[in-house]
Order: sequence, then structure tokens, then C-alpha cells
Amino acid sequence: MQRRRWLLQLVLRALAHRKGRTALLLTVLAMASSLATALGIVSYSMEKRVAEEVRKYGANLIVIPESARLDVGSGGLNFGVVSEPAYLQQRQVEDALTKSGLKAERSYHLRGVLHWKDADLMVEGVNFADIRRLFPWWQLKGTWPMAGETVVGSDLATRLKLKAGDTLELVGKAQTVKLRISGIVSSGGEEDGLLFLALPELQQALGLDGQLTLVRLMVTAGGDSLKKSAFALQSLLPTAKVNEVRQTARTSEGLLAKVKLLMFMVTAVVLVSAGSSVAGTMSTTVLERGKEIGLMKAMGGTRWEVMLIFCGEAVVLGVLGGVAGYLFGTVISQFITKTVFSSSAELIPWFAGISLGVSLFLALLGSVGPMIAVFKLDPVRSLRGE
Amino acid sequence: MVAVKLIPLLFSWFGIVLVLLRGFSGRRVPVAATGVVGFALGVVGAFALLRSYPGELSFGIVRGVVAGVFLLLWGTAVAALYRNTMREFHVFQGEKLVNASFYAVIFTCTTSIIAGAVCTCRLPVTGGTILALLLLVLAAGILVLAALAAEKMLPASLTVSQPALMAAVVALLLFSASSLIRLDLFSPLSMKVMKFAHDFVHQFFESMLIPDHLFIRTYLWGYIGLLFGNGVGFWGGMIIWFTPVVLILLSIRFELLPSVAHIRQGAKRRKLLAAAIRERRIRLVIPLLALLVFAAAAYRSSYPSVEYWDPTPVPVLASPAGEIVIPKQGEINLEDGKLHKYLYKQGGKEARFFVLLNPSGEFTVDLDACAICKPDGYGQAEGTVICYYCKTLIPLETVGKPGGCNPVPVPFTVKADGVHIDALTMINTWGNTVQATARIKEGGK
Amino acid sequence: MAPAIIETNGLTRSYGDICALKPLDLQVPEGEWLSVMGHSGSGKSTFMNLVGGLDRPTAGSLKVGGEDLLMLSEDGLARFRREFVGIIFQQHHLVPYLTAVENVMLAQYFHSVPDEAEARSALERVGLGHRLKNRPGELSGGEQQRVCIARAIINSPKLLLGDEPTGNLDHKSTVMVMELLKELRAEERFTVIMVTHNQEVATWGDRTIYLDDGVLVREERMRS
Repeated sequence: MQRRRWLLQLVLRALAHRKGRTALLLTVLAMASSLATALGIVSYSMEKRVAEEVRKYGANLIVIPESARLDVGSGGLNFGVVSEPAYLQQRQVEDALTKSGLKAERSYHLRGVLHWKDADLMVEGVNFADIRRLFPWWQLKGTWPMAGETVVGSDLATRLKLKAGDTLELVGKAQTVKLRISGIVSSGGEEDGLLFLALPELQQALGLDGQLTLVRLMVTAGGDSLKKSAFALQSLLPTAKVNEVRQTARTSEGLLAKVKLLMFMVTAVVLVSAGSSVAGTMSTTVLERGKEIGLMKAMGGTRWEVMLIFCGEAVVLGVLGGVAGYLFGTVISQFITKTVFSSSAELIPWFAGISLGVSLFLALLGSVGPMIAVFKLDPVRSLRGE
Repeated sequence: MVAVKLIPLLFSWFGIVLVLLRGFSGRRVPVAATGVVGFALGVVGAFALLRSYPGELSFGIVRGVVAGVFLLLWGTAVAALYRNTMREFHVFQGEKLVNASFYAVIFTCTTSIIAGAVCTCRLPVTGGTILALLLLVLAAGILVLAALAAEKMLPASLTVSQPALMAAVVALLLFSASSLIRLDLFSPLSMKVMKFAHDFVHQFFESMLIPDHLFIRTYLWGYIGLLFGNGVGFWGGMIIWFTPVVLILLSIRFELLPSVAHIRQGAKRRKLLAAAIRERRIRLVIPLLALLVFAAAAYRSSYPSVEYWDPTPVPVLASPAGEIVIPKQGEINLEDGKLHKYLYKQGGKEARFFVLLNPSGEFTVDLDACAICKPDGYGQAEGTVICYYCKTLIPLETVGKPGGCNPVPVPFTVKADGVHIDALTMINTWGNTVQATARIKEGGK
Repeated sequence: MAPAIIETNGLTRSYGDICALKPLDLQVPEGEWLSVMGHSGSGKSTFMNLVGGLDRPTAGSLKVGGEDLLMLSEDGLARFRREFVGIIFQQHHLVPYLTAVENVMLAQYFHSVPDEAEARSALERVGLGHRLKNRPGELSGGEQQRVCIARAIINSPKLLLGDEPTGNLDHKSTVMVMELLKELRAEERFTVIMVTHNQEVATWGDRTIYLDDGVLVREERMRS
């Protein structure tokens, strides 16, 4: 054991002797590992946050009429296919919800077609108050509509050259409605191609009082109980279909994936450059210490034993760099999450292992070349000063 | 097929002989000869035992012997640690034995008898012919010769201390035993620990030492709940399993270095010291390997390679008279000695049960659930059924008797056309049993 | 006469075309103090490196302490060096970041296990009891060389090699170092081979050999 302690002492003395170089190496290692740690923590907590938000917002159950076709993935009904549209009775759904005792945010939707200037427009009747609560990610240019007003999806608005303030006259089966556009809405989803108006107005225009095509429910529950809720509701609504939806915010997941890729690439670049700078510094050190290495060999150290001393230096540097990197990286990640996402990242202890691993890996990888040089060095020539 | 199954066992036999030869390096030839003879004795003995007392008893005996060896290792480990940490320790009775000249032969003989017996248990009970036994002994003999050759190739510096030898041999024996579900020790051990912890906490409740009171915070209940988890058995078993080898490792680590103060020249003194440290480090190698083998044995015990016969339940209907009739012959041959599972549904209720012809030639009809565990059901392997939940093995002979983790029997009558069971009784038995266990389990948590 | 500790037979070392050491036959009896003289490039350092197991001959045989150095592997040579040879260099070659004691302990570390008390007493023996915790930079040339001597003899070598140990020292320090070596040799009874170009230093030995261009040209025995 004494040998081991002596080895450690020797290594520490050597590192302390070259303070500047040791500090440089430590900084490089700590920087690299802290960056890797920080980005890791940020992307980890971001992922968690997105998952949480996906769970928090957005419907997780939908109720549709039994015969309607619904393709959840690509979104919505296709009116071209369903020849005889089926409807839900709003009253029935409300009753079922009360009876089942589910605590759920809900929003009622009715989709239909209104005629405007030789064209059929897909319109959706909604309660805007519900929409604002349940779909906070909808972005609105203009104001939310009052009675007799409407909002238009951004794609549709571009296509039809509509802007806020325009007035539309839409012809329905039962009535004709005159609506002023109060705003343009974009959600990044299929909503961008729709025109929205208040539910009762659409019901009147289509002559479908109290009828719905879709109810979105947000049950505040996760996992199993969601399935149970769906089941409970289904048994109360025999004419409808209750489906579970993984309303994945596809956009935010895609964004997350891109950000992660970017982070990954930045980390890779940093690691590669840090690794090469470690390798460079290490090889100059070894070159400078040629005489010392020659002496150790002349005194009877085998090639392995001498190499072990230098490996020891790399390991000590790696461990110190890793510890510093973890502390520093945690601070950085806190800073990033605070400024960018305005929330605090959690402390994740097991990331210490990752930063330690990154730092050790860099230190050892950077020392491979110098170590070979140490191994091969000829004591006679190095002592002569060649 | 049988030969493939025997490969790990023969491999550990090879390891045992190797470590014995190195451990008793002064008596290579007697050790090798005793090894072969002992192995043959073990094979013959186990064969005779299995023939005269078929069933659980003979396996129980072999398992008991293996368990005894494990306990002996515990003793050795404690003694070794004690001896190496305190110098004044000479009154150890076993020391005389260990130093005796016949010790090597006795040790080798005992070891190889157990190894032979374990190998024989692995042979199929009914198909273990004389020829197979001869082949087994022959293979063991060849392996001994191979070990004699291989031992010479090991580096000379690799020495084995007596506790390390014991650790390695026991590790390999336990590894061999772990390939047989009926000789395996680790799973029963962790089961025992779990049940012990369970009973212990229960006793505390009974004696009101843990007050069932509002003052007890919920997190405290969380800790108490930990004692009921499956983890307790596993980790407790792990501790008991690995401690002896760890103790032996510690004892070697704590071995005092030779006194070198009398050597005047510094260089010589230091050299002796360095050599002693190196030797001590090399002596750690064998116990470390033994630790690995112990881990492998525990792994094999937790994930046994045995395939359970576990048919999917066949749905059955009751006749209008309320009777379930299962024909003896037909699609399923009831009389093949295998477990046959059925599923009976009535209204919203259902019951899972199995029919089995036990080795004494009598039918038995039981629920696929016991009175204690969660109704995870049973599988069948090598003359036993196993409860999937608690991994208890139930010999086929005792299936049909109530109690413990045995499957709950259901009354039935055998007629010429098949087995007749009353459907209502079946549903009620299932309902009572499973609901009761469910309630207990919930209450326990 | 004592048995030979070094036996060479046709010992040759050439670097490419240049022959640094022409075939050399030499026997050094145990306990002798041999001085090797010659100007630079005469092959005296090459001879010392070969005898010390730092270098390998290109031809001939070389036995040191009964060990055939040609048969040893690279690690075997290292083991030979640490157990059999102590070397003192002209440039001292002390590790700059270690104190005097630690420099001695480094030799102990490669030999077996470090032992600080023993290293201290070795330094006290060479008269450096008051400078144990000083780094080489804080020591004078003579003191540094005495640390080197302590380091060279710490593992009780049979053979002590000196490569111009007094080359960088003034006259007073030279005498001091040589006196010290003489004292230690009387106690420890090691064989000394000292390469030098200083006639005065050479006279401390029992025998002097003169090398020129890799050839043993003259041999001289001291009367003392």
C-alpha cells in the first residue's frame, strides 16, 4: 500500500511542479466535461419538461361518433369520405361526463362545410374560452373573436388572401352568417387550414342544434387511470367511441430532437478539440521530461512501471477535471435553463459519473501517444540530452 | 442432450481438481487418484440413493450436504479472519487436522464424492443407466488427467491458501448444484430470508412494538414496507451468499507481513517486504475468482435455464347439470403425468385449475393458485411443480395435499370417461382462495 | 585474487558504421576500483552503459555478477539495473520536483518499497542530514552529487558506476565526493567503475585503463 501512496505522492508532486501546464490541462478537461455535463443535463431536463407539458396540455381523450372515421395521426375527419356524417349529442356527452364523475377539461367541436364565393370552406365551431385554456400554444395575431366574429387559420388566410378586419359571408345549409375576421391563428397543426367560429353560430348555420362531431377531453391523470377513465366513459356512451390520444406535441418534439442534435454536435466538436489539446500538451510535457524518464529507467524502472507513473498523472488530472467539470457544468446548466427556459434544472447526481467518465476518457485518450513515447524512450540517449 | 447439460458440471469438476492440485501441490498423485475414486464413489452412492428412495428425499440429502459444505465455508472464513487479525490464536482444533498428512486425501475425497453425487443427480432419474454412469466417471477421470497437465502450466507464483482453496471448491460445488433446480441453494436461501423478515415484522406488529397509530408518519410506513418487498430476500440472500468469500479476502488482506526487522541491510529488507506484498496479492486471485463463481451461481439460480412445462389454459364449459367433464383421452392425454391447465368462466367470474396424474398414478385437480401467494400459477419441471410467485418447489407426490404453498385441491370424481368436477364448487373455491390472498397481500402492503 | 564481477569477451558496440567500442576483453575482480580514462568519443561512456545494462552490445559476451546481460529481456535488464547497479551521473539527474529524501525514495520505489527512515539515514550518512527537505535547485553542486551517491547506494548495489561524477565540481567538492566514495566502499564493499578524464580523480582507483577510439590502449595499476 505504501507503494501506491508513494506513487500518488510522486504524481501530485510532478503535477504541482508544472503548475501552469497542470492548470491548463485541468481547465481544458473541466471545460470539456462541464460542457458535456451541462448539455446533457439541459437536454435531459428539457426532455422531461416537454414530456410533462405534453401530458399537461392537450387532450388525452377524444370522443367521436361511432361511425365516423378518425385518423388520429394525420389529424381529423375527412369529409370527402364520410358520406353520411354522424354526430354526437352534446347533451348526451355532458350527461355521461357528469355521471362518470370524471374531472376533465373539455372542449366541444363541430366540423362542417360552409360555402363562400364558389368554394367550400372547412369550418369548425368551438368555444373560444375552452380553446384558450386547452390549447395554449395556439398563436393568434389579432384578438380572440366576439360574437359575429371569426378567426382564420394561417394557411387558409394566405390561400384566400384574408386578413383581420375582412368580412365574410358564409352560406350554410340552414342559414347564412356574416362574420368579421378578428384574427389569424396558427398552431403548426391542421388548425392552420380551418376557419373557426363560435359553436352555437355554426350549429345554427348548419341546422345541427346540439350536435357535435368531436369532444376533446383532458383528464388530469396518467398511465393506467386514463385507460380506466376511457373505459368508464365508453360504457356510458354506447353510440360514441372514446379514444385515447397521445397528443404529442409533434412540433416541440421535433424541435427538441434538432436541439439535441445540435448539442450533440457541439459537444463532439468540443470533445475532439479538447482531446487534441490534451494530447498536444501531454506530448510536450513528455518531451520536456525525457531526462526524467531516462533516469527512472536507468534506476531500474521497467517500461511498464515508468508508464504507470505517467498514466497516474493522466488519471489524477482526469478525476480532478471531472469533479470540477461536474460542479461547473451544473452551474452552467442552471444558468442555461434559467435564462432560456426560465425554470431551474434539477440536480442530477448521476451526471457526476458522466462528467468523470468524459474527463477521464479525454485525459487517457490524449495520453495514448505520449505514453507510447514514454514506453519506447531509450534511457541512454535521453540522459545524454538527445 | 444430457451430455450438454452436464458440460457446466464437468467444467466445474475440472476447476475443482485444478485448484485441489494446486492447493495440495505436494501430493499431486494421491490427490488425483483420490479425486477419481471419490467421484466414482459419489456417482455410485447417489445412484443407489436415487434408486432406493426416488423422489425428494434423496435430492434433499444431497442438497443438505451441499448446504453443510457452505456452512463449513462460513466457519472457515470466520476462523481465517479471526486468525489473521489476532495473532494469539493457536487453540483452533481444525488446525491440527489441516496440518495432518491425510488431510489432503480426506478433503479431496469429500469434495469429489459431493461433485460426483451432484453430477449424478443431473442425469435423468429414470434414464440413468449403468452405461451413462460409466461414461460420466470416465469423463471425470479424463478431466482429472487434463487438470494434472493444465496445473503444470499455471504460473508457479499462483499459490492457494487453505481458506482460498475451500472458497474455490465450495464456489464450484455450489455452481454445479445451481444448475439443478432441486439442489439449488440460493433461491431457497433468499426465500427463507424473505419469510424471516416477514415473520419478524409481523411479530413486532403482534406485540405492538410498532404502534399502529396515526403518529407514525407515512414515510416510516414506507420503510416498514421495504421489509416486505421481494428485495429483502434477494439482498439478504446476497449478503449471506457472498460474505464468506469476502471475509476470506479480507483475512488475506489483513495477513501480517513477515517480520524483517532483524535484517540489517535495508535493500534486502525492502525486497523481502515487496515480495511478501506481491505474494499476498497473488493469493487474492483465487478467492476473487471464487467470488465470480459465486455470482455466477446466484445468477443461474435466479434465472434458471430449466424450461418449465407451462401450457396455456384450455377454456372449458360446464354441462347443463353444472359439471365440468374433462375426458381422459382425446385432444389432451390426461394420463401423461404432465400438468394440464384449464380455464372455466361463469358470468363475470373465472377460475384457473389444473389436472395432473401424480407419480403414484392418482389424479389430482387443483387450483392454479395457492392459499398464500398471489395467483401467479404453477409450472412443472423435473418431478416438481414450482410456484411462479415465491419460487417454492412442490414435489409431484405432494401435489393434491392442501397447505402451505401447495396448489389448493378441488374435489372431483374420476369416472370411466374422464374427470368430473362440480363447476359451482370450482368457482367458489377460486373466489374464496384468491380473494383471501388478495386481501392479505393488500393488508401487508 | 577475488573472482571477476565483470567479464567481457570481444565486447563490441557499433552505431551503424561507427564502431564506438572495438572488441574488448576485460576482467574486473570483485571489489576493485577501476578508473576508465580517455578523451571524449573514446568509448568510455559506451563501455559504462554496456556494463550498467543500459545498452546492449552488438557482439561479444558480457557477464556481470554471473548474469549474461545478452540473455536478459528489456524488463530483465531493468530488474538487473535496480538490484545490481548504482549509477552516478555528471549532470546529477535529480528529479527537480522531489526533495532530497524523495529522490532517494524514488530509487527505493523502483527497487521494492519506499522507506523514508532508511532514505533519511542514507542522506545523513553522506552528510546531508540538514538538507533532507530541500529540492535539488536549492543544493550546491557538491551536495547534489552527494544526494546522487546516497541514491546510488541505497539499494546496496554490487556495482557502482560513475560517469564523470566530479566533472562539474570544483576541486574542494571533488575531494569531498571522492573521500566519501572511498569511505562508503570500505563499508559496503562494492565494485567501482569510474569514467573520468581527470588524471587526479583516476588516481583514487586501484587500476586505470585508457581507452582510445574504442580500443584499450594502456593499463596501469596504482601503488597504494
